[in-house]
Amino acid sequence: MNDRLGLSFSGTGSSVLPFICGVIGVVVANVPISFLGGLVPSPLLAFMPVYFWCLVRPDLMSAPAALALGALEDLLSGGPMGIWALSFVVAYTLVDRERDGFAGLSGIGAIFGFAAAMLVAEVTAFLVVAATHATFPPLGPFVLQAVTTILLYFPGLALLTQVHHRFVGALRSDF
Amino acid sequence: MANGTWKIARGKGSPQLSIAIVAVLAAVLVVLGRAQSSLFDRARTYFSDVTAPMLEAARGPVNGIGHWVGGLGQIFVIYSENQRLKDENAKLRQWQNAALVLQQRLKRYQLLLNAVQDPSLSSVTAHVIGRANRPFLDTMILDAGKNQGIKPGEAVVDDRGMIGRIYLVGQHTSWVILLTDLSSRIPVAVEPGHVQAILSGDNTTSPSLETSRPGVALKVGQPIITSGDGGLLPAGLPVGTVTWNGSEFRATLLADPSSADDVRILDLRSPPEQPPTPGANDLPVVAGGFPPAAQTPNMLPGAQVKPLQLPAGVPPPVPPAQPQQQAGAKPPGPAAANAGQDDEQDH
Repeated sequence: MNDRLGLSFSGTGSSVLPFICGVIGVVVANVPISFLGGLVPSPLLAFMPVYFWCLVRPDLMSAPAALALGALEDLLSGGPMGIWALSFVVAYTLVDRERDGFAGLSGIGAIFGFAAAMLVAEVTAFLVVAATHATFPPLGPFVLQAVTTILLYFPGLALLTQVHHRFVGALRSDF
Repeated sequence: MANGTWKIARGKGSPQLSIAIVAVLAAVLVVLGRAQSSLFDRARTYFSDVTAPMLEAARGPVNGIGHWVGGLGQIFVIYSENQRLKDENAKLRQWQNAALVLQQRLKRYQLLLNAVQDPSLSSVTAHVIGRANRPFLDTMILDAGKNQGIKPGEAVVDDRGMIGRIYLVGQHTSWVILLTDLSSRIPVAVEPGHVQAILSGDNTTSPSLETSRPGVALKVGQPIITSGDGGLLPAGLPVGTVTWNGSEFRATLLADPSSADDVRILDLRSPPEQPPTPGANDLPVVAGGFPPAAQTPNMLPGAQVKPLQLPAGVPPPVPPAQPQQQAGAKPPGPAAANAGQDDEQDH
């Protein structure tokens, strides 16, 4: 599939590449070094590959893969286990059910689609934290994290598109 | 991104069923994370131990860039800032001298009163090699762990005040739960008056302050220190000051975790507090008018009590009931019992 690009990426390698991108997103977001003095919560970088490949190639980003990435996010962030795992799966379910609607979005609409999925993930995390801690946490940090992640999706989308185009296959818009 | 002209490939089997199973697994993970957190904690500490050299290596350049960027705005006020710091330094030296004199005087008074010595407090200095800032989580990672004698629950302070507590310890790294974290609860006291309160983090910069006595009047600006209740944290560590946000009292913390590079981990070695030996009059049967069932050895009628030798001219103090009982002296009389009742009424 990558012959026209002069690359030789094996089928197995390209099939696990979306998951590897998610793992890289988790690790980069959880390198516990603050560049902004803790003013803004770390973005959910791992959610970008989950959303992107859930739309364009759901066979390469399955629900168990989304669960695994969420669990890894929980593990490395030091928080209670399962919060992001459940949030990723709930958001994945929404995107999976409304794939045609999300995939039909283009340009700034694609960002709005990601923002909607991000909102679902953040609301799920907020509710799970409220249930497990028996108190409502402040909403501000969740909103800040969502905004940061959505803003980073602009370059993230370009990067993921390039990765997909070069190593995995063509986008559906190329057909 | 796409225009909907391509049929998306799917894996074999029923995807909806797969998603349902995965959703159940995720919910189970939430429950398991609450019930078996130690399992995942071990994985976390292993990860931090493995990545500690990388974090240590990245710490220098990242902190350097952060300080350089943060210092750009200070270039134009360096001269005035320098003058202000010189003045402040001169005043602080005067306060340091006063503090040293008072410290020596306090030691003399403690010797005169034969007061119980403060618990010994050793500390380990550690570098901050990472910070995690999440919507419901505020932690930092230190480069000291079990190898340096760090234990969970120990207090972490910077040069201004308390930052948080150790909650996970690896071989050579440890995780700190900051006072601002959603799960943080520590017993504190508001001075003057030593009003007991609980400082509860809620992931805002100012944790909430809940006094144990309803209706107690706090004032903005009163200092907050650790109360030492529970014996886990040392008493008297500076924490912050009282603030009012319009609806409730909160604490403005003295320490700044975002700028702290080196912190101290305090190891409180406090001997376990022994309850006083009950005297004959402390038994409920005596209070009910019945004779005690058996006398303790130190309450035998023939027991000799050595009188306290006081210097000439010093009036005899009225010692509290507890040391007398521990020393094997006579049980407290009615005056002491009444004093205890008065104390209870005060509370």
